[in-house]
Amino acid sequence: MHHTFRHRDQHLTLELHRTGNGRFQVAVNGQPHDVEAALLDPSTLYLVVGGRARTARIARVGQTYHVGLDGDVYVLTPEAGGATAGGPGALASPQVVAPMPGKVLQVLAREGQQVAAGDGLLILEAMKMENRIVAEAAAVVRKIHVSEGQMVDGGALLLELEYLDSRK
Amino acid sequence: MFRKILIANRGEIAIRIARACREMGIATVAIHSEADRDAPHVRAADEARCVGPAPSQESYLNIAAILAAAGATRADAIHPGYGFLSESARFAQAVHDAGMTFIGPGAPAIAAMGDKTRARDLVAAAGVPVVPAVQAPPTAEVELRAAAAKLGFPLLIKAAAGGGGKGMRMVRDAKEFMAAFAAAEREARAAFGDGRLFMERYFERPRHIEVQILADHHGNVVHLGERECSIQRRYQKIVEETPSPAVSPAVRQRLTAAAIAAARSVQYVNAGTVEFLSTEGGEFYFLEMNTRLQVEHPITEWVTGIDLVQAQIRIAAGERLWLEQEEIRPRGHAIECRIYAEDPAQHFLPSPGRIAVLQEPQGPGVRVDSGICADYDIPLHYDPMLAKLSVWGADREAARRRMIAALREYVILGLTTSIPFLIDVLEHDQFATGNTHTHFIEEHFAGWRAAAAHADVAAVAAALHSVLAPAAPLARGGSAAPPTPWQTLGAWRLGTA
Repeated sequence: MHHTFRHRDQHLTLELHRTGNGRFQVAVNGQPHDVEAALLDPSTLYLVVGGRARTARIARVGQTYHVGLDGDVYVLTPEAGGATAGGPGALASPQVVAPMPGKVLQVLAREGQQVAAGDGLLILEAMKMENRIVAEAAAVVRKIHVSEGQMVDGGALLLELEYLDSRK
Repeated sequence: MFRKILIANRGEIAIRIARACREMGIATVAIHSEADRDAPHVRAADEARCVGPAPSQESYLNIAAILAAAGATRADAIHPGYGFLSESARFAQAVHDAGMTFIGPGAPAIAAMGDKTRARDLVAAAGVPVVPAVQAPPTAEVELRAAAAKLGFPLLIKAAAGGGGKGMRMVRDAKEFMAAFAAAEREARAAFGDGRLFMERYFERPRHIEVQILADHHGNVVHLGERECSIQRRYQKIVEETPSPAVSPAVRQRLTAAAIAAARSVQYVNAGTVEFLSTEGGEFYFLEMNTRLQVEHPITEWVTGIDLVQAQIRIAAGERLWLEQEEIRPRGHAIECRIYAEDPAQHFLPSPGRIAVLQEPQGPGVRVDSGICADYDIPLHYDPMLAKLSVWGADREAARRRMIAALREYVILGLTTSIPFLIDVLEHDQFATGNTHTHFIEEHFAGWRAAAAHADVAAVAAALHSVLAPAAPLARGGSAAPPTPWQTLGAWRLGTA
């Protein structure tokens, strides 16, 4: 079986073969591992990879897998057949979205304005805090989709940037 | 003793108070907003009353509705927890006027300490050292700028009515001063309904050290040692420990004496915390007094063996302090980590969501004060703190290692939490050596991202999960029992490659 996941900017391609009862051979990006695994309950997978035993806790959240492993949490997004878009170093999305639901307290940028990395774009009030939404990199503000006082949902488009890609 | 206590709070602290009451044989009433009907704290009490819609202003801050709930359930005392109305003199007075007991200090002491500028004057008069400050910043811009320049940069802007980092801004130079002042004023007005601010000198690498006190109605005041709460983000504490690695027995003596003097200056009664800023040179200055139970009270409970919530209730009921100062002998070391629904890699932005999987750490010397449960939707309306994890160890290093192990055992899936970040903080060599200060996070963790060193193993787990637990909707409490590991694992051995 073939699986491809994205974890941040890393692509993980897996080839999985069942070799026995609870035994698998799994190649991760071509690297083979002998794995023994048992599903203890719907969210708990006990697995032994290369002799090292671990208990992973797993939740499906929408399309993604959240995997808790030894204090870390990995959010893995399944990809259809080895996608290549957005490799390491890809620029942040030019569409700035609300990281959470909240109220637009203040719009700090103007359309057409050039902003530097770290410059404030707007202030979103959520969970009792003023949260400053900043530009990830130098950019020109193309369009502002919200106004002060407006309530927005998490993921709502706030503004659009055009990054000034210095690498070109 | 009280017969029934209404708990005017939510989340982990409401559950904590309900536990204390249960041990003491006191009935409890929970209050909740419409958004919190299914919140765990509601089930922790014997009765529950809805006090209003989701926004705090209309529910957890709604004095009339809370008093009505207390009256309807015939509660004879109200415990305010921390936050919300815990430092509202008006609420304390209203509870008293309604013929009930407010579990906390009297309204005059709350009012005196709640007005930060007045508090400063009071404790300074009692001989407690205070930070150089501008107490009433002028309103005209020119004069305001001049006052700031005279105090000197960097400086700190704080809400006169505030606490918890709200309405607080640090300003490094004159250029950003006016904008910061305006933002602090807005935040203070939104959070406390009072936009008054003050400014004080800012120290480069101070520690935040506070002293827990207990005072009864009969003039007795004792301290329960200090807590260091220097690890902060957004001016809010995230890791606390006791004792402080920086406080010598000689300094502790002066520090705790100053705390008791501060408490006596307002005839303080019940549990309270006197906060100090301690400089690299070893000087300390009074910051403020929190006239309530602190979030981080469990670490003091760990080392002293004193249940602070039960102590609050006994004191409020009029009991004389049952402990002499000499009988309070802290033992070992305790650390607390606050677990937030937030993303440390994204400027600690709150990250609400639904708890998909929850597993709390266990074992000797491990305590979890939690306000969440599996399948719980973290409401957007309130503080994003999910739980507090605290540990005890024979010494600081034992406690630190125990905390790291406990954090690694803690699983919260479905939303982003601060757990991986806290592990890295506890593992940092500067934390291990006790070299902590309030800018520790900015200094050592700017641009932090989770190491995520085992993405390959996580991907293997996800792939196997999709094979072993196919995506078909998992019926909750469904039909077939899952196979035991012995059925599915096949032959395996531990410890071989």
